[in-house]
Amino acid sequence: MSNKIKFNLAQDDIESQIHSQLATRFQLKKDMPETRRLCYYDTFDWRLFNQSILLFSLNDSMGLRNIGAEQILYGLKSNQAPQFIWDFPKGELEHYLKPIIKMRRLIKLVDLTSHTVPYRVLNADEKTVTWVSFETIRSRSRKSQFTIGTQIWITPIKGYDKHAAKIKKQIQRLGFMPSTDEDAYFQALYEAGLEPGDYSAKLNLNLAPEMRADDATRTIFRILLKVIKANEPQIKHDIDTEILHDYRVAIRRTRSALGWDKKIFNRSLIARFQKDLAFVGKLSNQLRDLDVYLLNQEKYKAMLPPVLQDDLTPLFEYLAKQRAAAFRKVVSAIQSQKYKKIMQSWAAFLNETQNEDSQGPAASHPILRLASKRINNQYRDIVKSGRRILEDSEDEKLHKLRIKCKKLRYLIQFFANLYPPDKINTLVKQLKKLQDMLGNFNDLCVQVDYLLGVSKKMPVNLSQSNQTLVAMGSLIGKLETERQATKNSFAVTFDRFASLPNQMLFQDLFVQYPKKVAS
Amino acid sequence: MKTIAVYSNKGGVGKTATAVNLSYLSSLTGAKTLICDLDPQSSTTFYFRVKPKLKSSSKGFLKGGQKVHKSIKGTDYENLDLLPADFSHRRLDIEFNRSKPTDNRLAKFLNSFKDEYDVLFLDCPASISTLAENVLRTADYTLIPLIPTTLSLRTYLQLMTFCKKKKISRNRIYTFFSMVDRRKKLHHVLMSKVSAKINGVLNCDIPYLSLIEQMGIYREPVAAYSPASVASKAYQRLWRQLCKKM
Repeated sequence: MSNKIKFNLAQDDIESQIHSQLATRFQLKKDMPETRRLCYYDTFDWRLFNQSILLFSLNDSMGLRNIGAEQILYGLKSNQAPQFIWDFPKGELEHYLKPIIKMRRLIKLVDLTSHTVPYRVLNADEKTVTWVSFETIRSRSRKSQFTIGTQIWITPIKGYDKHAAKIKKQIQRLGFMPSTDEDAYFQALYEAGLEPGDYSAKLNLNLAPEMRADDATRTIFRILLKVIKANEPQIKHDIDTEILHDYRVAIRRTRSALGWDKKIFNRSLIARFQKDLAFVGKLSNQLRDLDVYLLNQEKYKAMLPPVLQDDLTPLFEYLAKQRAAAFRKVVSAIQSQKYKKIMQSWAAFLNETQNEDSQGPAASHPILRLASKRINNQYRDIVKSGRRILEDSEDEKLHKLRIKCKKLRYLIQFFANLYPPDKINTLVKQLKKLQDMLGNFNDLCVQVDYLLGVSKKMPVNLSQSNQTLVAMGSLIGKLETERQATKNSFAVTFDRFASLPNQMLFQDLFVQYPKKVAS
Repeated sequence: MKTIAVYSNKGGVGKTATAVNLSYLSSLTGAKTLICDLDPQSSTTFYFRVKPKLKSSSKGFLKGGQKVHKSIKGTDYENLDLLPADFSHRRLDIEFNRSKPTDNRLAKFLNSFKDEYDVLFLDCPASISTLAENVLRTADYTLIPLIPTTLSLRTYLQLMTFCKKKKISRNRIYTFFSMVDRRKKLHHVLMSKVSAKINGVLNCDIPYLSLIEQMGIYREPVAAYSPASVASKAYQRLWRQLCKKM
């Protein structure tokens, strides 16, 4: 059964009218009505909607389809809707969703009831030649069980398409038009007060080259504050690790944007907010670290020989307890008076319009000129520092270079829309490779130190403590080997980043291009 | 795609009832199922309330292609389609005889359905013909209903001898007792004898029940109009046994 035809009805009372009209020309036989629970799911950041796909559950089965289409791409039987990708049974649906939702939780967006009354259209042999179903979708909300939509479905049967076409024509004669693009999904979300795609942690800025530097920077701050405000109230619900991650990245970006050019705003003002936001960022450092260890549980286990893998379990049980305590601390910290005061004063600063007291000497400079100069300087600084590391690769120097690269990445992200997109994308790709290498190296350093520290702190009365320590020792050994290998790969990765064509591209984009725009 | 032929060289043993009910049970599992009615008597086609008419002749039928695919009809059940019989099927044997044995026309014909269906049932006419020989060679599994009577057993043994002579593998030929009347002593005796002596007898019999005969009145699989009945449960057991073998 394919190529279903759908008609949306404005009111559910038209249903009986259509039925009686059809009954005059066709032999209809009522089948068993069916009431099913229908729910739609997506992640907090609308990852499925952004791919134009829709995950739903209908009683005890789940299905994935394209938005606006009826054909189910993948499905599975499940009494309870899986929340994370690791809750899904291995199979096509899991395989498809894994790279999309990653570690994000699937949230139930709406909870509905679908009531269907199917009719068979019979021929002279009483063979079913078409199905005509009347479906009413209602909200299950206790407060108001309003109707989301009423629709007629014509389901043609293979080899009997003419009959379906006749039914379609008959319904059209009554003044209805088949609906092709409308999806009950949108109506259901609208009624629930949800707007699909209204949240994204990505920076979609639209700055003009001649914009005043303080206005442009404030625009960046405002967008980042929106991300902070969207995630902040969700932290206490512990939906998934990415709520806190997005929140932290937005804080980090804000701190980076505060210091990107020290002449745009009043110096003492910048210093105050730098201090305040550093405090805010630090509140959740421990929780994020623990989240990352727990997310990497399977990866760590896979690094060990099978005989040692289960011995790591007590370590993760210990980390999970630590995480629970760290989580409580973060929740109470973001409800503290000090935190609230900081965020209020930050929001107040963003709502100001060109206040002379907060302006610095470069406040009115055009953004393209300032941004280009800053990006170019940052790149040259990275190239210089990287060359020094090639002679003496101290861990501390690599760490500092990582921070510099991160700052450059943020700068490019803030101002990307001021430059030609294809060239910017090439640069970001190159930078990302170097950042990945430096990031991996830093993570491995931190992990080795952390595990060494944890081994001293873990309770000694654990029955498997000896085996666990052996497994942790083995893991530290593996991580240390990987750390060395990553460090050794620095020279090759850096050479590519600092290559002549890349330097020319930077020169072209951040020195020549702004001149061209200015002239 | 798995192909299952329901075949017997003796008529009136319950082939069509078996093919109709098993294909319906297969479709209930969510497997896209096609049942091909190869019998010019078109009983399967009748049970599904479809007109026995194809858009191609017997010659064109074996060639497969668009016309055959266009002849497929959806049944009243989700996931179950039917390739109806046609009176021209009486000439299928002639068409098979015309082609070289190496042509393997039936395999090519079945192959054209593999992208669309997971399970394909063949309801075959009762005869030891070239068509039957092709079916026995090509189908992944052949299911033979056997009534526990002397004459029925005799034709079954004839078939086995034929397979041996034609070097057709008997490993994927399964048989089961059909139209079993537990009140008859002869049925009991023959069933225990056959089960002991013949390989590939499934431990599951279909009783002789009027409810199965009534399929002709209801024009539906018994498993659809009376799913909790003894008859339906017997077919469900048979389907489970076959699934285990597959």
